[in-house]
Amino acid sequence: MMTRIPQTQMTTVIKNSCCSSVHVKNLNFWQRCKSFSDLKSMVNVPSTAVVTPFPPLTDPVPDLPTPIYSTAKEEHQMTQITVLPNGLKVASENRFGQFCTVGVLIDSGPRYEVAYPSGISHFLEKLAFNSTRTFESKDKIMLKLEKHGGICDCQASRDTFVYAASAERNGLRTVTQILGEIVLRPQITEEELGLARQTIEFELESLSNRPEQEPLLMDLIHAAAYRDNTLGLPKICPEGNISKIDRNILFTYLKNHYTPSRMVVAGVGIEHKALVDAVQEFFVTEKPIWKQNTDLVLPERGSNFVDKSIAQYTGGFILEECNVPVYAGPSGLPELSHIVVALEGCSHQDPDFIAMCVLNMMMGGGGSFSAGGPGKGMYTRLYTNVLNRYHWLYSATAYNHAYSDTGLFCIHASSTPTHVREMVEVVVHEFVAMAGPISESELARAKKQLQSMLLMNLEQRPVVFEDIGRQVLATGSRKRPEYFIQAIEEINKEDINRVARRLLRSPPSVVARGEVSNVPSISDIQAGLLDSQGRLPGSRNRLSLFR
Amino acid sequence: MATRLLRISSALRTYSNKTSHVKISKQWRSTAASLQQTLINQPATKTTTFENGMRVASEDSGAATATVGLWIDAGSRYEDDKNNGVAHFMEHMAFKGTAKRSQTDLELEIENMGAHLNAYTSREQTVFYAKCLSQDVPKAIEILSDIIQNSKLGESEIERERGVILREMQEVETNLQEVVFDHLHSVAYQGTPLGRTILGPTENIKSITRNDLVTYVKNHYKASRCVLAGAGGVDHAQLVDLAKKHFSGLDNKIEGEIPLIHHCRYTGSEVRVRDDSIPLAHIAIAVEGAGWTDADNIPLMVANTLMGAWDRNQGGGANNASNLAKASAEMGLCHSYQSFNTCYKDTGLWGVYFVCDPMQCELMLYNIQNEWMRLCTIVTEREVERARNILKTNMLLQLDGTTAICEDIGRQMLCYNRRIPLHELEKRIDSVTAKNIHDIGMKYIYDRCPVVAAVGPVENLPDYTRIRQSMYWLRV
Repeated sequence: MMTRIPQTQMTTVIKNSCCSSVHVKNLNFWQRCKSFSDLKSMVNVPSTAVVTPFPPLTDPVPDLPTPIYSTAKEEHQMTQITVLPNGLKVASENRFGQFCTVGVLIDSGPRYEVAYPSGISHFLEKLAFNSTRTFESKDKIMLKLEKHGGICDCQASRDTFVYAASAERNGLRTVTQILGEIVLRPQITEEELGLARQTIEFELESLSNRPEQEPLLMDLIHAAAYRDNTLGLPKICPEGNISKIDRNILFTYLKNHYTPSRMVVAGVGIEHKALVDAVQEFFVTEKPIWKQNTDLVLPERGSNFVDKSIAQYTGGFILEECNVPVYAGPSGLPELSHIVVALEGCSHQDPDFIAMCVLNMMMGGGGSFSAGGPGKGMYTRLYTNVLNRYHWLYSATAYNHAYSDTGLFCIHASSTPTHVREMVEVVVHEFVAMAGPISESELARAKKQLQSMLLMNLEQRPVVFEDIGRQVLATGSRKRPEYFIQAIEEINKEDINRVARRLLRSPPSVVARGEVSNVPSISDIQAGLLDSQGRLPGSRNRLSLFR
Repeated sequence: MATRLLRISSALRTYSNKTSHVKISKQWRSTAASLQQTLINQPATKTTTFENGMRVASEDSGAATATVGLWIDAGSRYEDDKNNGVAHFMEHMAFKGTAKRSQTDLELEIENMGAHLNAYTSREQTVFYAKCLSQDVPKAIEILSDIIQNSKLGESEIERERGVILREMQEVETNLQEVVFDHLHSVAYQGTPLGRTILGPTENIKSITRNDLVTYVKNHYKASRCVLAGAGGVDHAQLVDLAKKHFSGLDNKIEGEIPLIHHCRYTGSEVRVRDDSIPLAHIAIAVEGAGWTDADNIPLMVANTLMGAWDRNQGGGANNASNLAKASAEMGLCHSYQSFNTCYKDTGLWGVYFVCDPMQCELMLYNIQNEWMRLCTIVTEREVERARNILKTNMLLQLDGTTAICEDIGRQMLCYNRRIPLHELEKRIDSVTAKNIHDIGMKYIYDRCPVVAAVGPVENLPDYTRIRQSMYWLRV
């Protein structure tokens, strides 16, 4: 009997038996205390309950099959391209690995919106991968994709829409079906439209509350450079249009732009034949929803539904006096003023395109304080000549935007509001200096960095996919990375000076946001760009004082 | 014999530079676990251990580019009150020149190769890596070995770097997510090394001396605590030779006291930094999770996926896989939220970080805790299956590119002393059931004291006792 009584109870019994009269009461009290303290200790002491039968992650799970690994090499694969009878292009490349990326690229985007209310592309981006004729909700699409370990994404730029999905290779048919459905047969229900409106409203709100100005500035500089035409049309939906855009307008736009000849289906990590077959089934045999139900589109108003005009670079000047939000928290960073100065560059098919990219790399730049060690371009001109010299500059970065028929080469800079004028002078001076002497070493460095950037980006399957898609959409074929590596190698100082002079011949586009009352006039900036020293009229040689 | 192809899957990485949230590697998933062999269309991870304990691990994909780096088992956890910040200070000094290279030489050499040199310090790991063209791998390793072993640590550079680090600190303070996570650690691990920040307090940054740096390196950059990892166009044999050649200077001798790691105690508690001038409330709530090696981490990650993430700029409405995301979208609970599972050697933090309008704190928190209770009790097989699929997909798609793979190899070698084969990870994830999630919830969440960190206009956040009361249900 005694042996079965737990130790604690036994002592209690013995103790209590000594003081005879009250022992029953005492025992109860003791037990209550004990259970109370036990509960309490359970809460703060980590539990040691065993949840899974597996060993710790440091030890292998027993009885697993032996894996046989391949010695995979990324071989030089050919891009195979098929043009279907209706004009739809299918391009693909095989690649090792068990996953594939497939997507649709379309000649569509804000640049084609001139006959429509601006913001259509913004809506379509938010409405992507919603319900379709076959899939009754976004949830159904996601579930189907998840079964194949897949994800999907839609991104719009000014002239191209990219709908893409990555999944296991054996999910190719499903992925192609989903893409065919969401591109050609979306439902765009009123409910979905309402949610998209809300999402866009949220996005506009956070754009205006955030200290980051890039998306707003990029819209502005395009508006200044291509006034009221093609690439100058806004990518961000204007607030007034949010309620204006409805199903019929969207379907009318889709009907006119989502046509086979404006479309490429591209894939990486798949068999070309299988992709072509799936595309035939889901993009050709099955018809778009607007062909099955013609009530969806507006009655024809004329032939102006597809804008085929060539982008007209106009140059321009937009100042937006406003309060740029400061970074939250006790950062001590001041409110900044931003400017972007742009000149007309060249299209991605232009013979000067590669030289323009090398020039962009040579200018480089970034934030005066940015994470990352050597390799971020800390010996580019915007660092060595600008950020390292002027403490009041917070960032200076060069961008090269290239489109099918034109391009923009810009420098974005930000500084404390008191130095806005000097900031413009510094930027103009750097533009002019591009046509001046170039050292061997800076050119060699820019070329090498461009080459390595190209190869490093192509490590990723989605980047390869986009590269194939964009090239085939623009030219009908794909140039191999080796071609670009070689073309970069051949660039010399003359080429850089030539494209720099070409840039400087164009009228400037200038935008500024923040406290901008001290921004010089556009004619002064233009005069500065034409001056051999890059000096603005009336600048009192301020720059030479600094140097 | 019929063998079936497996598929890759990879890591869940919701980590910022300064915190080592969970990441798991590119791995293989078996679609037929009963098979004795599984065919994998992917290079194997080869590992070599030297006599001095240093490990070399690599995966050769034959790409034109490569990432190589040194992963060191050292970080702010090994510091004390006096030298807190020294690990991070050292990371900065590594780029400031060595015995044979000046800072400018080093920078130009890297830039001229078109390479990138980078480093980061977390609470338990210090990492230096280079990304370069594959033909430049030998040069990159030579540079890495030079900056790690022969850093000059010049007095004037140290003085200059203080200013840079103080400015970095300002920059970090503008990132409220980092601020909240630092606060979360400071209360969850109060009185222990994990409670300190990585950057260290201002007074330390101003006072750290050359001697502090030298002592720290001498005591912690030890061969047996280092892993040289490589991915992309790297040949393992070549990497081993290069490691022998350039890292022979590393040893395991320690002068003075041997640095031991002590268990860091978790304390359920809270911190509120009310500041109504900030437009939105930034709040994190967590419970104590598991350490790196604990097998419970897999079900915890599935539970993490069940909580999900959401951002109102993405939309998605009622179509999200996670209940909390659905609720957020339908009721406008928050601007964004993400669940996290941050692991350390012997402990971890498992929870949710969210950003919301000032008057929504209470409602959002109510929904989070309600969802936690659901995990502990009534989450269904169907939901868990979906979360498993999403987890595997997320893990896989993170591992594209040589840098992501190299990071995964380095981290796993330090945490697990091996790289978990894909088919094993797959098996571990696939075997998580709803019952496992209930158990894991009961073990780590249910009736546990949470830790709460809140910054901004947080007047609406309930008292701690009320938050604590929502960690259980009266009926289960």
